[in-house]
Amino acid sequence: MTEDNIILEIKDLKKHYYKGKLKAVEDVSVNVNKGDVLVIIGPSGSGKSTLLRCMNMLEEPTSGSILFHGRDITKKYTVDENGKKVKLDIDSIREHMGMVFQHFNLFSHKTVLQNMVMAPVKVKGMDPDDAAKKAMDLLKRVGLEDRADNYPIQLSGGQKQRIAIVRALMMEPEVMLFDEPTSALDPEMVGEVLDVMKGLAKEGMTMVVVTHEMGFAREVGNRIVFMSDGSLLEEGSPSEIFNSPKNERLRDFLSKVL
Amino acid sequence: MITVEGFEKTFRYMSMFWQGMGTTVALSLLTVFFGFILALILALMRLSKFKVLKALSSAYVEIFRATPLLVQLFIVYYILFDGIALPGIKLFGFIRFDRFVPGVVALSLNSGAYLCEIIRAGIQSIDIGQTEAARSLGLNRVQTLKLVVLPQAIKNILPAIANEFVTIIKESSICYTIGVQEIMYTVASVKGATFSIGEPLLVATAIYFCLTFPTSKVIQYFERRMSRGDRR
Repeated sequence: MTEDNIILEIKDLKKHYYKGKLKAVEDVSVNVNKGDVLVIIGPSGSGKSTLLRCMNMLEEPTSGSILFHGRDITKKYTVDENGKKVKLDIDSIREHMGMVFQHFNLFSHKTVLQNMVMAPVKVKGMDPDDAAKKAMDLLKRVGLEDRADNYPIQLSGGQKQRIAIVRALMMEPEVMLFDEPTSALDPEMVGEVLDVMKGLAKEGMTMVVVTHEMGFAREVGNRIVFMSDGSLLEEGSPSEIFNSPKNERLRDFLSKVL
Repeated sequence: MITVEGFEKTFRYMSMFWQGMGTTVALSLLTVFFGFILALILALMRLSKFKVLKALSSAYVEIFRATPLLVQLFIVYYILFDGIALPGIKLFGFIRFDRFVPGVVALSLNSGAYLCEIIRAGIQSIDIGQTEAARSLGLNRVQTLKLVVLPQAIKNILPAIANEFVTIIKESSICYTIGVQEIMYTVASVKGATFSIGEPLLVATAIYFCLTFPTSKVIQYFERRMSRGDRR
């Protein structure tokens, strides 16, 4: 694996709350390589979401480092080749990481189309007409082109989440972070969202997915990470994790969810 | 005693009432404008991560909410503007500039404190997920505030802002004490000319009502229009 293939490199990451009384993430190290579909599983409160949210600095880690293409994004300042101090522009890093939330978080005062074109136009300076065209193409791909002028409240949960995914795709991210994307959905809508994610994985999109959907993890993931009580306890391929789990806690967890 | 004759006499001075109404409206509009800008700055200070800014904003709001408006008005007029010689010109021929400006300043400083609390509550009422989604897309702090948080917050607090505007129209009557020729000042002048107080007071009451009632209706209309995103 060459250096270039590593998109995110997480080293000894810690996230503590209440001055260390709550250790949400404890000494986690994991890499995200290009083309990976890394699925993070584990019981509720095990720090999966916190780890994911640290990856684009929505949560500030207590210690440890997160390298995005070799650049530590947890430090406010980095030193370039000439030894000059450079301020880290976290917004320019986040542009390259799409994120999908459990509760969709569509901008409720904007239509579907406006939701999608806002960031490309305002952040990348994309031409509004080009952005709208691109948005319509993406909406067609997820079968929601007739919803372009609707407001989020007029959509079902599954539709909202599909829109949230294509909104993130508008920025052409290098990696997509999914934070329990189907947990807030009615059961009959889970499939339509997972299908979109499967399609993305097939196209080679690098993805980090926190989920309770074990079927998805087994079928689509190429690497599975098991977390419990803030620690990363086991990492492996789907067959290693699901067919021959080594860790006691993982075996216990799987016996409950499968 | 209220008499028809008294009203006839009072109506002879209607042009003075119209001018007083113009002054009241100008006073209130400018107050809401400057008060809102001040409140926005105060609210952002209050929500910033810098403790000094937070403390300054809190102190400001607490002081202005805990002291009477009349006291604030007198302090602005007699102390703050004591050394400042404003030109004694008349705007539109009837608004006395040197009285009007201290009035606007005092009312704006006061309503800024109240509007600050309204705006702060409005911003805090917006789900943090909206901010997180915007930031995760690469929008910076200012863009997130401008494009995502404030439009939704302002929509939510519009009824409260309308209330504040109506309150300002009514409270601006206090400026008569420093000689701003608004509606209540007109009442005093007409009383001096006609030797009756009841009729001019009732006319003033009617004018105030005609100002505040439609104002709240107009804002209700915009509130409905802006809530399109909430309707199925």
